[in-house]
Amino acid sequence: MTFRNQAPPLKLQGNFKFTPPQILTMPNGCKLLVVSQGDVDVCRVDLLFNAGSRYQNQKLVANGTFSLMSEGTAKHTSQQISEHFDYWGSFTGFGADKDYAKATAYSLTKHLDPTLDMMHEIVTCPLYPVDELNEWKRRRKQSLAVELEKASTKSRIGFFNALYGEEHPYGAFAIPSDFELIEQNSLMHYHKQFVGSKNCTIVLSGRVSDAHIAKVQSVFGSDSWGDAGQSNGNQIAEHQGNEQSVFIEKVDALQSSIRVGRKLFTRSHPDYPDLAVVSTILGGYFGSRLMKNIREDKGYTYGIGSYFLTFKDSGALVISTEVGEQFTQQTLHEITKEIKLLQNEPVGQDELLRVQSYLMGEALRSVNGPFAIADNVLSLFYFNNLDFEFYNNMVNLIKSITPNRIMEIANKWLQVDDLVRCVVAKSNPF
Amino acid sequence: MVNFDRFSLDNGLRVIVHKDTSTPLVSVNLLYNVGSKHEHPNRTGFAHLFEHLMFGGSVNIPNYDEPIELASGMNNAFTSTDITNYFITLPKGNIETAFWLESDRMLSLAFSQKSLDVQKSVVIEEFNQRYLNQPYGDVWLLLRPLAYRVHSYRWPTIGKKPAHISSATLDEVKSFFYSNYGPNNAILCITGNVETDKIKALSQKWFGDIPKRNIVRPDIAKEPKQTQQRRLEVKRKVPFNSIYIAFHMCNKLHPDYPATDLLSDILSNGKSSRFFQSLVKQQQLFNSIDAFITGDIDEGLFVITGRPVDGVSLAQAEKAVFAELKQLSQELADDYELRKVKNRFESTFTFGLTSATEKALNLCYHELLGDANMLNQVVKKYRDVTPNDIKRVANELFTQENSSVLHYIAE
Repeated sequence: MTFRNQAPPLKLQGNFKFTPPQILTMPNGCKLLVVSQGDVDVCRVDLLFNAGSRYQNQKLVANGTFSLMSEGTAKHTSQQISEHFDYWGSFTGFGADKDYAKATAYSLTKHLDPTLDMMHEIVTCPLYPVDELNEWKRRRKQSLAVELEKASTKSRIGFFNALYGEEHPYGAFAIPSDFELIEQNSLMHYHKQFVGSKNCTIVLSGRVSDAHIAKVQSVFGSDSWGDAGQSNGNQIAEHQGNEQSVFIEKVDALQSSIRVGRKLFTRSHPDYPDLAVVSTILGGYFGSRLMKNIREDKGYTYGIGSYFLTFKDSGALVISTEVGEQFTQQTLHEITKEIKLLQNEPVGQDELLRVQSYLMGEALRSVNGPFAIADNVLSLFYFNNLDFEFYNNMVNLIKSITPNRIMEIANKWLQVDDLVRCVVAKSNPF
Repeated sequence: MVNFDRFSLDNGLRVIVHKDTSTPLVSVNLLYNVGSKHEHPNRTGFAHLFEHLMFGGSVNIPNYDEPIELASGMNNAFTSTDITNYFITLPKGNIETAFWLESDRMLSLAFSQKSLDVQKSVVIEEFNQRYLNQPYGDVWLLLRPLAYRVHSYRWPTIGKKPAHISSATLDEVKSFFYSNYGPNNAILCITGNVETDKIKALSQKWFGDIPKRNIVRPDIAKEPKQTQQRRLEVKRKVPFNSIYIAFHMCNKLHPDYPATDLLSDILSNGKSSRFFQSLVKQQQLFNSIDAFITGDIDEGLFVITGRPVDGVSLAQAEKAVFAELKQLSQELADDYELRKVKNRFESTFTFGLTSATEKALNLCYHELLGDANMLNQVVKKYRDVTPNDIKRVANELFTQENSSVLHYIAE
């Protein structure tokens, strides 16, 4: 007889151990981190540079320098380069974030050699041909213009503008006309300044053998390449924002796009793990309070979430949702209500156990497979100076957090008066 | 090679087990053979609305998500024109929680009015968010009924319009459940470090006593051959003009399916592809252009979408696309080009097998098509395509009479 109203017994997940990558310092000084795992013959190579948009003096230069790397070298045209990667079934990505820039290649391990050889050529001697630059401007300008039509894009930009200021790299966004100002020289110069073995860390992940590691070493690790020196981060002036409520009108909006949150701290801050738990309880999983209230009880939205966004030198908590236009006010009200509830009433044991169990599962899922582990190595590199104990400590803190500590953290960091709200809607809710 | 074991229960539930020792997690994938193509034309969006209701509690378990969260699991689902698919990933030690929850909601739902009311509202917001409140979001609401006249692919999974969703009643929901959801209309796949014997026992224990159901639904009419080009022009508040062209193509099991898929890759997979090199780079007529197949089980669509450069008319753009297509139907693609798209296909396919969740879904899906082992023959079928196949299929597909053209004009 099967008792369907009785849950099968659970095994609580106790053991989590983040396995650090193998770390090699190559002859040219460049660091190689190897995640050797998986049962399928595929791999990925990431070349990381301290070269994100925070270092640029003109909008889109960091992005352009990386996006256009594969558009022509002294030996190969843009078309030959894409033929090469497509023929070997390799997939590449080049781009710049706020803090870091990255060149990535996914490859079948059997085709790693030709993939790496071309990657080397692209990264070390791109020419930035003017024709390719112009075509890139034309195309990207149009796609940015479409992107900027979306309510969700407008509210994201409005929110981060308010949080960091439009001049701060974390609050700055390009507009289509910025593309017109980009010149070949600025890209060449940025490349010279920031792309080189002294400013590079490499992550190799997948089902890789010693031969694959040796190949990466011989291509990127023997001689020093590029003129760039090591860049350790520039100083960014603090922005003192005073806008707490931002309204952006969109006359034809069927839904209002809402962002609520505040500027916080980096992942190295001692309160980070506990606040990450608080953010999860509030809106970080399907069973979160905001999802239960705004979606599953009231049906105002398809989804609502809160997440902790980290930068190298800052961090932000963001609550984000798109709601039926007629529910804007109520949603803002309910968000405030849920935050105050976290500050004033202890979380029940059932809910706490559920969120802890869920987060333990997330920890396991985040190290499931070589590329997931590599992603974590990347973010440890970005935000924690490769402190490989970070995730182990985090898991321990998740397991030991108490209802009182949750209230304390919610009171310390989520005061409603400190929150910035940005709404893109038909009419002003403020 | 993805190895697996396979067995069936007496009630018709098919179960597939794939052992993957590289992960401490298991994936539990449950595919129901019901999609938006099985809906009544006046009640569209129902399969998808129903997917939402499957999370509203079942006959013996008031809440679906909380026990999964307690078991350190995560779960989700999606609905397509052909199927509704539910999946859970959780630590191996808690696998029985997944059997308990999935079997109870296969047995019967709670059918609460409150859950129905809330999910109708959630789905209407999803309709708004993804289709109506996005630039170019309504394209599939326009293109499908242009290309299909009788087949139920003529509406998208979200439904024809929000009103079909808002008027759904609890009785309709119940009848949809009992005529579509049942062990004999489902395929279960478990991937992870598991033993088939143990999965057999668990399957029998939790699913074995669920009765077979009488699966009844409207017949799906076969789309007649299109004999004349169809055209539609709409004006919308968007920043740029766009063009969409759809051609009818073969079904998923047809021998020409791989050739048709590779044809779309020759045109637009990767930056070395023909559309990108010719129409974007050399002729500078488009800023973006893409070709893809919808991948449906019944006769699907080969779709081209493009956004021309400022100053290039949609008529000019359309002419250039057809010229490019004509080349494929007149000249043989060379061996190198074909080998390139096959390599790229193999690579994409191999990367797809790195996740236990994807493997579980793919095994279920191929079992639905007829045999899970077809998953292991996919690459070979693509490798066997010849330049002549490509030319022949291009000839059949790319005719004016077989096309539906949508001009989406910026107001």
